Amino acid sequence: MAVRNYIPETLEEALTLRMNEHAVPLAGGSDIMVQHRKGMGIAPDLDKPVMIISNLQELKGISRRDDGYIEIRALETPASIAASELVPWHVRQAASRMGAIALRNVATIGGNIGNASPKGDLPQPLILLDAEVVLVSLTSERRMLLDQFILGSKKTALADDEIIKSVLIPEKEFTHLFYRKIGTRRANAISKLSLSAAAVVRDGIIEDFRASSGAAGPKVIRSREAESLLTKRQISEIPEIADDFIAAWDRAISPHAMPVYRRNTTSRMLLHFLEALQDEERSGIIE
Amino acid sequence: MSATKIDDRIVRVDAMEKARGEALYVSDIKFPGMIYGTLVRSSIARGKIISINVPDLPEGYSFITADDIPEEGRNELWMIAKDWRCFASGDVKYVGETIGILCGPDRNMLSYLKERIKVEYEEEVPAVTIDDALSLKGGPIAGEDNIMCSLYCEKGEKMDDVFRKADSIFEETLETGFQEHVHLETNSAIVRLEDGRFTFYISAQCPFYVRKSVAGLLGLRPEDIVVKQTTTGGAFGGKEHFPDVLAGPLLVACNKIRKPIKLVFEREEDMLYSVKRHPSKVLFKTALDKEGNILGIDGKIYYNCGAYLSASYVVLQRGVFHANGVYDIPSTHLVGYGVATNTFPSDAFRGFGAPQTLFAIEMHLSHIARKFGFDPAEYKSRYFLKKGSETVTNGHIVEDVKLPEMFRQIADASDYERKSKEYEIGSGKGIGISFYNHGGAFTGNGEQAIIKAHARLVKTGDRVRIEVGSTEMGQGFQTALRKIAANALEIDISRVDYPNPDTSRVPDSGPTAASRSTMVVGKIVEDCALEMKARWDEGDFSVEKEYVHPDGHPWDQDTFRGDAYLGYGWGACIVEVEVDKLTNEVTTKGIWSSHDVGKAIDELIVHGQVNGGVIQSLGYASMEKMENRNGHFRQSSMSDYVVPTSMDFPKQEWFLVDNPYQWGPQGAKGMGELVFNGADAAYTDAVERALGATICKIPIPPEDIEEAIDNAR
Repeated sequence: MAVRNYIPETLEEALTLRMNEHAVPLAGGSDIMVQHRKGMGIAPDLDKPVMIISNLQELKGISRRDDGYIEIRALETPASIAASELVPWHVRQAASRMGAIALRNVATIGGNIGNASPKGDLPQPLILLDAEVVLVSLTSERRMLLDQFILGSKKTALADDEIIKSVLIPEKEFTHLFYRKIGTRRANAISKLSLSAAAVVRDGIIEDFRASSGAAGPKVIRSREAESLLTKRQISEIPEIADDFIAAWDRAISPHAMPVYRRNTTSRMLLHFLEALQDEERSGIIE
Repeated sequence: MSATKIDDRIVRVDAMEKARGEALYVSDIKFPGMIYGTLVRSSIARGKIISINVPDLPEGYSFITADDIPEEGRNELWMIAKDWRCFASGDVKYVGETIGILCGPDRNMLSYLKERIKVEYEEEVPAVTIDDALSLKGGPIAGEDNIMCSLYCEKGEKMDDVFRKADSIFEETLETGFQEHVHLETNSAIVRLEDGRFTFYISAQCPFYVRKSVAGLLGLRPEDIVVKQTTTGGAFGGKEHFPDVLAGPLLVACNKIRKPIKLVFEREEDMLYSVKRHPSKVLFKTALDKEGNILGIDGKIYYNCGAYLSASYVVLQRGVFHANGVYDIPSTHLVGYGVATNTFPSDAFRGFGAPQTLFAIEMHLSHIARKFGFDPAEYKSRYFLKKGSETVTNGHIVEDVKLPEMFRQIADASDYERKSKEYEIGSGKGIGISFYNHGGAFTGNGEQAIIKAHARLVKTGDRVRIEVGSTEMGQGFQTALRKIAANALEIDISRVDYPNPDTSRVPDSGPTAASRSTMVVGKIVEDCALEMKARWDEGDFSVEKEYVHPDGHPWDQDTFRGDAYLGYGWGACIVEVEVDKLTNEVTTKGIWSSHDVGKAIDELIVHGQVNGGVIQSLGYASMEKMENRNGHFRQSSMSDYVVPTSMDFPKQEWFLVDNPYQWGPQGAKGMGELVFNGADAAYTDAVERALGATICKIPIPPEDIEEAIDNAR
């Protein structure tokens, strides 16, 4: 029943534990302690050693890099992400609506990504923005798109000697932005459905269009096929493309519970965003 | 120190110790040699127990089952009937039914052993819903037809004659779901031997219920058992009878093990394996004339009782008695059926059967009003009960009814009439209204015939102690009762004590339920205090009195005819909403309520009850969804069974009307349940108007609104 647990003091120490014992990193504990909870007065049911990495300075900080990326290190909390002006709008929105205030101060971006829950708040806007994750082990460091890192519900490409070091978000300006989380209630809520959308419209041409759906399938959904129907097209063409686009998006999502609601609401939100794109008076954040 | 007066605004007497964390709950209490218990429960909804395989238990660990009940005892908990078994034996009737209690000193070891107790079943097909039960899915659970209890009321002309005269008939079915109490403190109890007597420390509303319920397990008399209520962190009816389900196994275990044993439910256990509010299905068939006037209402009321009767018959009675709402319907025939299913037994929950039928009648009348082009408020107000009106039990309303005045208060404050006209149906904006009441105390002459409440005041020096079995569970009763006594004695409230009851020391003032405590127990205490005041100089003495029922209000409990309630609380509520057409998310823009509670004993406490009751009712209508699949509840935590936070609803505007009740202390009537009974319908009415859809079932979270919109197309 009992396993050894560790509190490494440096990243190198943590990576050594990760390699030798495959110790599970615990940062805020807001997922692990809930998932393994056994009850009052009873030790949590951990099947692998846990290492508490909360103090590793190497994994903290939010910064703008010279190569055009915003870097958020893995131990940053939703509270600090929501408060940082460096972080793109969609991600700040999602971070500011996660769980309760207490949770937003202990949960981490690394944990939220590593847990890979379909209802997780941060992966959805990060995948919209083509964010990458940096994974480190004692012997290597690699980068991959977050969309590829998350394989499915609760499944990631993390190797058993790796730790999530940071998230890199390419900086990009959008002319139109949309974010909605429909929670089970207004605060302290798990996502029932979420949607981000973003576009760059210049001179009546849609230069970039993208969207991502959370809690609408086993992982965050972006449909490049659907997006491609709109990119490089004129906004005046939207009315004739809209139906095909909505149909393509609807094919891409696969909500298990409340399918009718999730599908219809997703379609309505996307159409609402497309309407805003056609209105030359409207830009910026689309309410 | 000056004498405390009823209208003084005072700090709740229990506020400081609770805010500071000094109050001791069961979970905080430890006794030398104390061990822990954990319940082993059925994992299936219906079937035969083939075998129970228990691993070899280390020393100091025991697994207690029905086999450990001594010969002189019986495997039954005595709530109202005696049908609820302490331990399942031979078969199981619902998921979570207690099979045994595993006891021992280390909770890690208990957890390890519990996972290794294997129960083999021969599974049978469960009936989970009212419809399952009525179609006898899997064969009958109770009797031949699954009807555990039933009753009817009628008033006016025969229904056949009424329907023959009707120009049109409006029929619909209205439904409500399970609701979980979510009291902050989960169910918990400790049993131990004190001076040779089995003694409980228990989080409970009704300490005298507990001893009566469990004594028979060991062939004892209730007075052989001592029950000490511990500070109770919320109840809402969930600790009226349910503590018996913890106390029973603990008693049988303590009888064998002879050590103190503590049983504290995890939140998940409290969600999955505790009583709930009865789901309901109400079929109304209403006869109307050409102009839309109601000639009569025929109602069939079904409550899902779960596998044991518990308090369901009484809950159903209250449901039937409230099924015409606050309206004087010329002719009515109401029949109620309590239906047996393989779900966890349904039991008491704030409102006790009234909220379900009140929701149904409110929505039904709103739908009729809209069909005939009337504003629901105007239409409903034509039928308001008045003093002297005949009730559905052929009794009469014995008090003034202030509903017109209450409606005016909230209509003016909310600008109801303007908004009701201006917000077009389906515009995304809506304002809704409801009217409701709640009969105070036990039905009919139950207080006199069944409860026979006693209360005692004891004077020692210049201090006075209140001795009653009534409990503080967060509702503010310690403050209210001490205030009533201090006011009558003309002394400062700090000189009045009211410790948590201990059944070996206090008289039985009846259960803390049915909105009866202030109205009935408060009155006895006030009468005791007035006598004590008159005899103040006699030194140390005590005064004990029994409840006296007012003359001239007959009630026949066999036929349910007569004056069911002498004092009702009355309520009116308006809710304004906006519905987001993209996401179906509802934003509540305003809440206005007015209540007649006779006289507020403590305005701050009444304000707290109004705020809490209204929000709980809005949660019931909007988000508190407890689903049951094949007998298993699907929501098991506070993140998937969501109750409202302070962010979900805006600040409320609230009013009270003074309407002193002649037999209550200082004119007070019941109010703890009343405030739950109507906001749900006002909210649903508002959402319907905003969407242009008809809603016949709550809760109505965004995904179910989708369905209502689809149906409207």
